[in-house]
Amino acid sequence: MAVNLFWYGCNMTRHAEIIRLSERLLECVGTPAQPVGGPGACCGSPKESEPRINEAMAARTMDGFAAREAERVMTWCPSCHMNLEDFMAPVKGQGFRHAHLCEALHEGRGALAKLMTQHIPARVLLDAHVGFGDRVDVNTLIPELLRLVPGVEMLDHPYRGASYMCFGLANVPGALPAHKARLLAAAREAGADTIVTIFHSCHREMVALERDHGIRVVNWVHLLAEGAGWDYRDEYKEWRNAEDPTAAIGPARMAAAGEEAVKRLALPELTRPR
Amino acid sequence: MGPGEPLVSLSALREAETARITAACLRCGACFAACPMVPFAPGAEGAQGGAVVEGVLDLLNGGPGDEASRAWVAACTRSGSCNAACPEAVNPMLMLRLAKWRANETGALPKRDARDAMARVKAFARLTMTEEEQARWL
Repeated sequence: MAVNLFWYGCNMTRHAEIIRLSERLLECVGTPAQPVGGPGACCGSPKESEPRINEAMAARTMDGFAAREAERVMTWCPSCHMNLEDFMAPVKGQGFRHAHLCEALHEGRGALAKLMTQHIPARVLLDAHVGFGDRVDVNTLIPELLRLVPGVEMLDHPYRGASYMCFGLANVPGALPAHKARLLAAAREAGADTIVTIFHSCHREMVALERDHGIRVVNWVHLLAEGAGWDYRDEYKEWRNAEDPTAAIGPARMAAAGEEAVKRLALPELTRPR
Repeated sequence: MGPGEPLVSLSALREAETARITAACLRCGACFAACPMVPFAPGAEGAQGGAVVEGVLDLLNGGPGDEASRAWVAACTRSGSCNAACPEAVNPMLMLRLAKWRANETGALPKRDARDAMARVKAFARLTMTEEEQARWL
């Protein structure tokens, strides 16, 4: 039986609440989709320096989509989206339609608007980047979605960060600090009290601004959820901004996730310099 | 050809795109001039754009490039400003990406250390997802 998939990518596992909320939003706009991602449904991007591994991971993902008889795949990650169009589809063939999550929600914005019952006062500056807009016009579609939330004021500012999300900048010395400084300056100039991130890597890089600079940082999906009155917890932000992330995670969660693995793999990221 | 069988290999696609880009590029340097990452590419800022592009094409075709071209390729974050600036629709963003892959293979640029990437993805999944979600979503 054909299904829609919400292909959240691999690094979104840090933000399970965004996956939950996205699944619920898609259901509400009449496009129910099963979340799929993680190492078993990776576009290969993390292994880009090893093309053979990259190709094998991408092929496994496309085979998985075919096995599930995917009819439409809603993407989240811009790297996945671009790899699908540039390499995965030309190499493997594509037996499904695809769109970004924000495009699918924008198609269903009539239904989405009816969900937006809560007044959420926020003067919002989007963490916009110059890239990816030729594939999906996220810098237009997402503000249009957020304007459906009563109380949200989307502010205009000409600043656009380089790259298509913050991950790329994080790997180039000096680029991410420069972007953060310029974005904060833009937020001050625009009179924003909230920075809204578009993608997961932007969110994980920007949440620390909330602790150190007194400006709220939320993802666009979080804000839509607030407009609908849905509860959620941004645990990544809580852990990243905690004095002691280990204590914030708690011993039971640490043990359940594998204490040694969390110490070696997650805590260095959560405690890295802001 | 049955479902799931490759239409073409990634390496064949790369070779075809490498040949197309090498033939189509005018070496005008408009892509370099439009790039917002040049200030973060040591040795590239202030260089002559056409010469830097020549170096990128050398990397793309397996050569060592030069300091400026290696720095520019390493600093590429796929902003895409280059594509809008290119007068021949060469797709310079793809040119730089393929050049980086080739340079990683030849050793002209170091490979990104991604050994723990998937292990980290799994560790965060165990932290943030319920067991039922892990079973359904991963």
